[in-house]
Amino acid sequence: MSILTTITGVILLGAALMLVGVLSSALARRLGVPLLLVFLAIGMAAGEDGPGGLIFSDFQATYAVGSVALALILFDGGLRTPITAFRGTLAPAGTLATVGVLMTAAITGLVAWLTLPLGPVEALLIGAVVASTDAAAVFFLLRTRGVKLPRRVGAVLEIEAGVNDPAAVVLTLVLIAIIQAGRQSPLDLALDIALQVVVGGGAGVAAGWLLARTLNRLDLAQGLHPLLVAASAVATYAAATLAGGSGFLAVYLAGLIVGNRPIRARSQIVEFHDALTWLAQIAMFVLLGLLVTPHKLLDQGIGAVAVALALMLVARPVAVFLCLWPFGFTWRERAFVSWVGLRGAVGIFLASIPVLASMPGGQIYFNVAFAVVLVSLLIQGWTIAPAARALGLALPLDPAPRARVELDLPGQLDLEMVGYRVDPGSPALTRTLPPWTRLVLVVRGDAVLEAGEAGGLRPGDHAYFLAPPWRAPDLDRLLAPNPGAAPEVVGEFILPGHATLGVLGEMYGIATPVDETDRTLSDLFAQRLRHAPEVGDRLMLGDAMLIVRAVEAGAATRVAMRLTPDPEDRPELADKVERAAARLKAALRRKRR
Amino acid sequence: MDISDLISPSAVMANLKAGSKKQALQDLARRAATLAGINGKAEEREVFEVLLERERLGTTGVGAGIAIPHGKLARLDGLYGLFAKLDQPIDFEAVDEQPVDLVFVLLAPESAGADHLKALARVSRLLRDRSVCERLRGCDQADAIYAILTESAAPRAA
Repeated sequence: MSILTTITGVILLGAALMLVGVLSSALARRLGVPLLLVFLAIGMAAGEDGPGGLIFSDFQATYAVGSVALALILFDGGLRTPITAFRGTLAPAGTLATVGVLMTAAITGLVAWLTLPLGPVEALLIGAVVASTDAAAVFFLLRTRGVKLPRRVGAVLEIEAGVNDPAAVVLTLVLIAIIQAGRQSPLDLALDIALQVVVGGGAGVAAGWLLARTLNRLDLAQGLHPLLVAASAVATYAAATLAGGSGFLAVYLAGLIVGNRPIRARSQIVEFHDALTWLAQIAMFVLLGLLVTPHKLLDQGIGAVAVALALMLVARPVAVFLCLWPFGFTWRERAFVSWVGLRGAVGIFLASIPVLASMPGGQIYFNVAFAVVLVSLLIQGWTIAPAARALGLALPLDPAPRARVELDLPGQLDLEMVGYRVDPGSPALTRTLPPWTRLVLVVRGDAVLEAGEAGGLRPGDHAYFLAPPWRAPDLDRLLAPNPGAAPEVVGEFILPGHATLGVLGEMYGIATPVDETDRTLSDLFAQRLRHAPEVGDRLMLGDAMLIVRAVEAGAATRVAMRLTPDPEDRPELADKVERAAARLKAALRRKRR
Repeated sequence: MDISDLISPSAVMANLKAGSKKQALQDLARRAATLAGINGKAEEREVFEVLLERERLGTTGVGAGIAIPHGKLARLDGLYGLFAKLDQPIDFEAVDEQPVDLVFVLLAPESAGADHLKALARVSRLLRDRSVCERLRGCDQADAIYAILTESAAPRAA
């Protein structure tokens, strides 16, 4: 009986910790504390030196949970990275993830050698353990701190974090092998690294491709798709690692591929992995907080803080400034990238390997790494947003994305149902819909109406559209109350409001009355519109459509020139939408009878 | 108006190396001058200035990695198009901040009138097609790129 009670007690404890983690997130958000720090603190508070007093020192269990959690977090990171983010950023991010990791490890190792009671190789191991920026921490903090960064800076940080863990893992494992077995020839070392990358990369690509294919081919019950994906992600990690490759690289690539192919149940999968990533974060950080014995951190206190400061203030900046040198980043951008070199669970996780391998002084690595991560989260994590603003890199936030409901159509990858609540002022109320979408259903009050019966949209309606999944963001724009904040459509040329009709006439042959050559585009809008120009207002000038893109002090300051009307772009798609809409309507009619 | 009326096979570059927007425009201006038969340093400079002047007015980086620099030049004898797929995407101050790797330069004679606008419309309609851009990006041969650019100029079966 008592063993069952014990087990149930452990279950209750685990659930309680999770619950505290979830609930504390609301508080943390209000206070602006980095959430990861909160999770870590919860673990520490429950642990042996805190009020909880739990004694937990199971490095094996932590390693297992940590591996799975990390695999899921990296997979999610890949899943959410559009492949276009790589354009122009792969080279700088790749350099940071390889050369940058080596440089960071070397400089940090040097400081560790000077301040801690360790030999040179052991000190280098400390450097290696904390050399990679943490994907979990970076993805997470960039997305939750409410800062929008210039695309290239954000992409470099995220991609670096996604691909530098394998580099740090390989470096750590190699150094441990050297410490344990004595010397290893440089050739073996190079071979080992090549094997990690080739096997890991190959396994990741293969798994991603296979998974996307399986998802689309296999008929599964509703709700099983996300599980298939999650299980495959963990399996990819484990199989690649067993085969001698880098499991973390594999799982990141697999996520990237799945996320960038048309797949069934995409919105379910993304949502599920969102939740799973939270779970992984909380579990990993709470467990690591439990595992550490805070008072022992003080043994290496001064040395550990020195290592942490050296890493933040010297090693990372040097590595970033040198690695990004050839890629044309401004000093402000490089300074910001240096500052967002967040360390996280990977470092602590790697530092638990020496303990697992029962290396002499294994605890030292763990304690130092823990202190470094703690300091990094505390100082850097807390200051990301202010740093971005101070360096002039924070962009104005996009309006909150529209709450849209996406519904898969069984047996159909090209189209889905997208639902919105129609707000007053959304362009869809007045505009004709583009040819790639159809209004199918309107829910008005208690009534469910077909598009035809509804007689157009009204504010407060819930509207369901049929559209290709990749068009959903465009649909968001049609349903957003302020159309102007939306980015321009490809194919528009941007002109300043002060450009004159004369210049347009000269450059584009747009006929302009002789006496109007001095008139500016701002004037033109002011005169023709009869009301103060608003973003999204449009008028025709010759064959060109002019659209207001920005307004300041009641005048159009930025005008887009659109040369062709939107439709006739993809007639075959329009047909397809039409036919699918007809089928849906028929089905609906049958159901209602 | 067809794309093949605007561009000749010799006006396509498969892997243009350019480190910056300015450098890309300079290179393209040089090629364009040669193509239009107005060789000479001063002429290259003139083409470059015309393109640059248009960029000063507002970027021609129209989004999704595409730029369509254009301008008018008195001494041309017709419309001249030039297409380059860049070796590495570059910052073009594009409307969506995305780096640019597909560049279609369009030069028109002073007398072009409305044709300039029509040609621009044709080019931007072509490059707005995601599948065309995807195929262009996956292509490393100038002649194959030319084929992609011009084949879609044929009217589509509706």
